[in-house]
Amino acid sequence: MMPPEIENGTMGRVAYARIGPNEDLVQGVEKLCLAEGFRNAFVRGALGSLVDACLYACDGGYRHLGGPAVEIVSLAGEVRAQPDGSLVATLSGVVADPQGRIHGGPFVPGANPICMTFEVTLEEWLPADGG
Amino acid sequence: MRTTTVDRSLRGPQTPPRPRTLIHPGAFNPVRIHSRSARQGRHFRLSLRPGASLYDALVGALAGAGVANASMTLLGGVFSHLDYCTAPPDPEHRRVVAYTEPIAAGPAYLIFGNATLGKTDAGGPLVHCHAAFCDRRGEPLGGHIIAQTTLVGPQPIPVLVTALDGFELRATYDAETNLRLLQPQGADDHDAA
Repeated sequence: MMPPEIENGTMGRVAYARIGPNEDLVQGVEKLCLAEGFRNAFVRGALGSLVDACLYACDGGYRHLGGPAVEIVSLAGEVRAQPDGSLVATLSGVVADPQGRIHGGPFVPGANPICMTFEVTLEEWLPADGG
Repeated sequence: MRTTTVDRSLRGPQTPPRPRTLIHPGAFNPVRIHSRSARQGRHFRLSLRPGASLYDALVGALAGAGVANASMTLLGGVFSHLDYCTAPPDPEHRRVVAYTEPIAAGPAYLIFGNATLGKTDAGGPLVHCHAAFCDRRGEPLGGHIIAQTTLVGPQPIPVLVTALDGFELRATYDAETNLRLLQPQGADDHDAA
């Protein structure tokens, strides 16, 4: 079923976290939501580094960028509670490789280990219908 | 029924590579997520002052607004000079990676950036900024921006600020990585495992 085109809601709490080395970027953001009790959230700011980066490609495959470190220079995304009782973070962004060249795309869950640190700010999203 | 065949040889690799687990110089910290939250974020739209360094333009304006800790989104704009660095493996092996010496990109167009305002361990303001930008040849580049020596161009650059209240972000020594890193501290003390 398609979700409604417009979802009304308000911004709730704001959380900042430092996620440590070797944790996965995408699942780390999901676990931050578990830690803070957020069910739906938007990324408000993020920066840090990855050991290597793995981004989805348009053809259904993957692009692997070797580090360390691959720097995260921009990140956009959200976390949504699912009907099956899980939380799913969907994150895309731009990364810079060790030569400073930039690449972009959606981050593959489980394949983007943090190198030194990852700083992220999430803002809780409270859908008007209770989500 | 007609079926569509897909030539898989034209696709990228279908199985993502296994993530690497790097060995850091210090003891493993069993707490992996250090987080704090506030009941609400306070938002500001900031215009970076032309001619000022990125550091002075952020720190000065936010101090005036009573903001000491914040997460910021730098929207696009021209810098008259931009210095950045990347983080390749540490040749001295004291850490997994180390920042390079500053690389002068010269005049640059900032495409998008994120920055964190916190405090050094001595209590002074600290700005950590990563951004994507184009250099004067139009080459798209990215990395860690040196806020003290990067200069705002002739037009103000807009920044969306989410101020974090009730806790602070402080650069503290992290034994695992052997690096000073921004960590949230104070108020609700509930580090997640």
